[in-house]
Amino acid sequence: MFKELGALVKGLSVTFKSMFEPKVTFQYPEQKRPVKPRYRGRHVLRRYENGLERCIGCSLCAAACPADAIFVEAAENTDEERYSPGERYAAVYEINYLRCIFCGYCEDACPTQAIVLTDQYELSFTDRWDAIYTKERLLEPVPPGARPTPQKTEPGKFVNPIPEMPDFPEWKP
Amino acid sequence: MSQQVTLTIDGKQVTVPAGWTVVDAARVANVHIPVFCYHPKLEPVGMCRMCLVEVGLPERDRATGEIVRNEDGSPKIRFFPKLQTACTTYVQEGMVIRTTTEQVARARKDILEFLLTSHPLDCPICDKGGECPLQNLTMAYGPGTSRFPYEYKLHLEKRVPLGDLIILDRERCIICGRCVRFQAEIAEDPVLSLDGRGRATYIITTSDPPFDSYWSGNTTDICPVGALTTTDFRFDARPWEMHQAASLCNLCPVGCNIMFDIRREPELGGRFAVQRVMPRQNEYVNEIWICDKGRFAAYHFAQYGERLTQPLVRENGKLRPASWREALERVAQAFREAGSGLVTLASGRLSNEDLFNLARLTDHLGGRKVLDTFLAGGEWTDKVGLGRESDLAALGEGDAILVMASDLEEEAPIFWLRVKEAAQRGATLVVANPRPTKIERHAKHVLRYVYGEEGKVWEALLAGASEAAQALARAENLVIFYGQEGLDLATSDAVARAAARLLLTTGHAGKPNSGLVAVWPRNNDQGAWDMGFRPVADLADTLRQVKALYVVAADPAGDDPHLAAALEGADFLVVQDLFLTETAQRADVVLPAQAYIERGGTYTNALRRVQRFFPAVPPPEGPQPDFAIVAALARLLDLNLEGRSTAKGFEALAAQVPAYQGLTYKDLARVEEQFPLVSREVLDYTGTAYPNGQGLGVVLPNAVERGETVAPPEAPEFPVRAFQGLLAVPITRLYDRGTLVAWSDTLAPRLPEEAWVWVAPETARDLGLQDDATARLEIGDLAYTVRVRVNPAVPGGVVLVPRSVGVVLFTPVAVHLKAVVPAS
Amino acid sequence: MPEKHLLLRHRDIPDIHELEVYRKHGGFEAFRKAVTQMTPDEVTEEVKKSGLRGRGGAGFPTGLKWSFMDKKNWPHYVVANADESEPGTFKDREIMERNPFQFLEGVAIAAYAVQANRAYIYLRGEFWQVAAWLDRKIAEMEAAGLLGDNLFGTDYSLRIYTHLGAGAYICGEETALLESLEGKRGQPRIRPPFPPSYGLYGKPTVVNNVETLTNVPLIIERGGDWYRTIGTEKSTGPKVFSLSGHVNRPGNYELPLGTTFRELIFEHGGGIPGGRAIKAILPAGASSAILPATDEVLDTPMDYESVPKVGSFLGSASVIVVDETVDIVWLVKKTLHFFHHESCGKCTPCREGTYWMDHLIQTIAEGRATPQDLEILYDVAKQIQGKTLCALGDFATMAVVSGMERFREDFEAKVREAVMAGG
Repeated sequence: MFKELGALVKGLSVTFKSMFEPKVTFQYPEQKRPVKPRYRGRHVLRRYENGLERCIGCSLCAAACPADAIFVEAAENTDEERYSPGERYAAVYEINYLRCIFCGYCEDACPTQAIVLTDQYELSFTDRWDAIYTKERLLEPVPPGARPTPQKTEPGKFVNPIPEMPDFPEWKP
Repeated sequence: MSQQVTLTIDGKQVTVPAGWTVVDAARVANVHIPVFCYHPKLEPVGMCRMCLVEVGLPERDRATGEIVRNEDGSPKIRFFPKLQTACTTYVQEGMVIRTTTEQVARARKDILEFLLTSHPLDCPICDKGGECPLQNLTMAYGPGTSRFPYEYKLHLEKRVPLGDLIILDRERCIICGRCVRFQAEIAEDPVLSLDGRGRATYIITTSDPPFDSYWSGNTTDICPVGALTTTDFRFDARPWEMHQAASLCNLCPVGCNIMFDIRREPELGGRFAVQRVMPRQNEYVNEIWICDKGRFAAYHFAQYGERLTQPLVRENGKLRPASWREALERVAQAFREAGSGLVTLASGRLSNEDLFNLARLTDHLGGRKVLDTFLAGGEWTDKVGLGRESDLAALGEGDAILVMASDLEEEAPIFWLRVKEAAQRGATLVVANPRPTKIERHAKHVLRYVYGEEGKVWEALLAGASEAAQALARAENLVIFYGQEGLDLATSDAVARAAARLLLTTGHAGKPNSGLVAVWPRNNDQGAWDMGFRPVADLADTLRQVKALYVVAADPAGDDPHLAAALEGADFLVVQDLFLTETAQRADVVLPAQAYIERGGTYTNALRRVQRFFPAVPPPEGPQPDFAIVAALARLLDLNLEGRSTAKGFEALAAQVPAYQGLTYKDLARVEEQFPLVSREVLDYTGTAYPNGQGLGVVLPNAVERGETVAPPEAPEFPVRAFQGLLAVPITRLYDRGTLVAWSDTLAPRLPEEAWVWVAPETARDLGLQDDATARLEIGDLAYTVRVRVNPAVPGGVVLVPRSVGVVLFTPVAVHLKAVVPAS
Repeated sequence: MPEKHLLLRHRDIPDIHELEVYRKHGGFEAFRKAVTQMTPDEVTEEVKKSGLRGRGGAGFPTGLKWSFMDKKNWPHYVVANADESEPGTFKDREIMERNPFQFLEGVAIAAYAVQANRAYIYLRGEFWQVAAWLDRKIAEMEAAGLLGDNLFGTDYSLRIYTHLGAGAYICGEETALLESLEGKRGQPRIRPPFPPSYGLYGKPTVVNNVETLTNVPLIIERGGDWYRTIGTEKSTGPKVFSLSGHVNRPGNYELPLGTTFRELIFEHGGGIPGGRAIKAILPAGASSAILPATDEVLDTPMDYESVPKVGSFLGSASVIVVDETVDIVWLVKKTLHFFHHESCGKCTPCREGTYWMDHLIQTIAEGRATPQDLEILYDVAKQIQGKTLCALGDFATMAVVSGMERFREDFEAKVREAVMAGG
């Protein structure tokens, strides 16, 4: 019998010991666990300082996507209605988060650093359609002082198809 | 066969016909020699210098002319000190080509480095990216990095519309001149040119309206970079995102082999949709080209047209949606009651399988099968049409072609191309038309006659009196094309008979590369004839008396107000179509059909080549394929027809229609190696046209070949057509306002905006009309406001009226044309 | 007085541009002799025997060229190349302006030799006055029965026409010239086929330089053997040297082929102004490889064989003299600017290469270049060589390659300048 009691004490000792260990549980959502610097969460589509969209609708992210989660439909800019520098912009940009595996290949493939993954992980949907993030939801807000897109621009100012890209500063959401 | 030459390319021996270039020989030997300016269908120019190779020839002793040999007996090869352009070097016996040496690799890298110095490298936004020869060759042979500083780059205009359909990006252009040469050599519309000099050279258009050619889209296929893009596809999708469906163009009787590139389309709610039309190689039909009408209007009507989505039945004078069961039962009952009073009016837009089922159903009830056309002669094309294994490319010296009453480029552009090429190879071309047409540039003999006097032309040809008649009679092979210009149904029948007589009496019937070709107004009119549909002389009269009328893929009421009135006489009208046409609006029951891009089937083109097309996009909910609707209807009328698959339908057809005896889809799927070798892997050689992996089709045997006795018909009596006063003649223009092309936004700017007519300067003077004047054209009880265009190429006393451009006119009639005095 | 000039005869005989004067001095006797006493083949043979070589630059034997004419394909044409577009060349103009009939007689004899009934004189666009002048002279010949039908009572007929180009260096290249003459863009054709088998309008055509043709009457009049006594064994006859640059007396000098540079520059040209030292010679205008003016070079006879031995070509013999004050980088920059401007754009290496080289040399000349830029310039020039459709591409690299090989220090000085400037 003592033998059996001994086994019980031994077993409970683990329980008691862990009662005094520091807690790992976070009181989510009141408390949020910090993520690692290179954490890959939901995407955003970035803008230039002047408010123009970086995305040129090249669809290379969709080509790189192993889960076929991205759909891009391009259209042509005019100086009257300009979304991005150059000739082409994404008229439709959708990411299906039921498919996305957050691998970040899209970010690698992007020639203008338009699509980037952030550390946001709070993705929950009550409807399958809500899981499809459209361009409007993905675009980052217009920077202060800049105009929203489409912009009316001076003819001949944004002719370069791929804008010149100075060294890319580290981006923080 | 021409003389053969054997040469060695990278150690591989290859035997090719003399006169071939080294690039072509290498392609056959599966050795890749990269090219930009060279194209196997164009004359070589040696501009881009990409194809530099080492060329060696057997050394010959100067004194004796003998080949000098090495110790081992092999011929001693002497290499040119400099690299040679393989595209301008013609094969010679014993020639040795080296493409893998250090020197050649270095040259390729050098040329690519030069080309890239003036190329924007905007591949991510370039429509060609992913199927770009420059991209591919750079990856294969180019330098990894650039030594050319970005500041040196020349920035040029990125968006220069060359015309309504083609946009030029001057920065991307590498000045290979392919487009300029295509327009001059192949399209024979030299409307593009190079302007400027050196690095400032650029492409310009020299015509008004700009880039005025029916062939402009092909330049985007052969452009080795993304300099030329179409307005139809610009920025629509990336090449790798699309999948392909083989199809046929259904806008003219040529039956060009095409490929639909398909991807989901947000504009259409994310449905799979055709993004662009590309040519698919078939050297028997369209080579690797298609006309702009096919490229820019072949699918739009199905995709963007206001389609019928469910059956409609008339109740209390109004059409209301109904279930298929209800609609079909109503039709079946009416048909049962009508019995032999049923008339089925079908057009040659339907596939063979549809037409076969329709014919069976109509026959079952004892009804009448009517074809909606004004061109006759289908039984003669069946009897003495082009023989089995016919190939227009085989026509050349010693052969003859007669083109009668047809403006080939307007009616069937590819036939114009093929006839022109045959004439360039040396075939004798005889053109008989009352007015000059583009094909005449290559004619040896031009027979000019007055509209209505076609009989005289044939009298002379059959008598063998003229030089032209003798040239036709003597020819090794003789092909006769006839169209419907200036003809009516009876006259076109006489023309076909006379042509058949000429072919039979001169020994040209029943053999390959000889025969009769009708330039039909619709893509599958030949198939419709084969299935037993026949035009009637007075359609209005016929319609007035029917008990039940089954109109399939035709719109008599929309075509002609007189027919609309005649339809009132029909007791029961069923319309089966894609759209709610004028006729459908008058129908008792309307049945929605699927478009050809949504289903499969076969068409028989004017050369009597049966070709298969495949479903390209999923059909919208509701419409059913024509053959299946007919089969469902037949079931209700106690007739068993094949309604499940077109393959089964074709089997049934082949068992019953003599010319199609024994044919299966498997036969239609046969492919063979065709020169030039087209491949999506070697885009620089032929461009972005697709290879043909789906089948080249089969030419039907004509009656003579089937062993039937075909006696030459008597020389026909041509109907007397003495026209009084001003004669209006309908002419076919490629760009009209027909129901199918009208849905294409892309082609819209090229289509005529208003009704217009052509008159000769003297006629205009007599009528008191100026060029560009507005006039009133009175045809019987109908009157139209038309724009007058004075054209010296029009015969006097005639008004030429384009078909389907606002004026209802199908056959020549006397008319009045009066100046409209503007109400001051 | 012995004849001083055979080609520039106007310098000895005043008013030889008048038909009367020219005829008084034996003019058109050679043409008459050819048409009335010789067969076309005999004329060609005589020219072959003379050893006359093309004066336009390539030095191809003229008689041999004539004999290549395809006799199965008719009609034949003769085209006189009066495009004279090489910078530093101004000999043809003097001949046409001052001694026009001898040139026109040469055209006529050449036409007879190849049995052409039409001859064209293709002049550069800037020569519109010369063209008008020649038109008048041709009209005079027609009036005198020297051109037209049934010449000298035979059934031979000939007409000569002038044609003005639109001012492009490339049109001096014979196939580009023919394209331009046909009314197309002046761009060279791929060769072979050469003009004697596929020329103007696809017909056999002889294209000869003005000076070449001006030699022909002499050969017919006095015989090929006489002609061979002038010049060297392989480079026979007189030659007009266009001397320009840093010399006291620039101008055209008619001297026998084989005269040395030294004689031309120092005896005839009067040496270098201000007693400065001679630095370099461009023996064939802008398209020549630059020669350093060493004693060996100066003592080189100017003929088609000797000049290549010291590393250049005689070309059209437009000798440009450069003295010690000139920076070779500047000189190369000038030639590159010219070739960039004149590249026709048909073939890739020349079109893109000249553009690139022009940019590079400007950077170098402005003292902004790095040693790598020098390397790239040399590489690009080498990269063009041997890959172009016509000779222009190679010409464009001559000054660069020779300049960088032979005057390296000038280039390095420029780069040092850049480094000092803080590069």
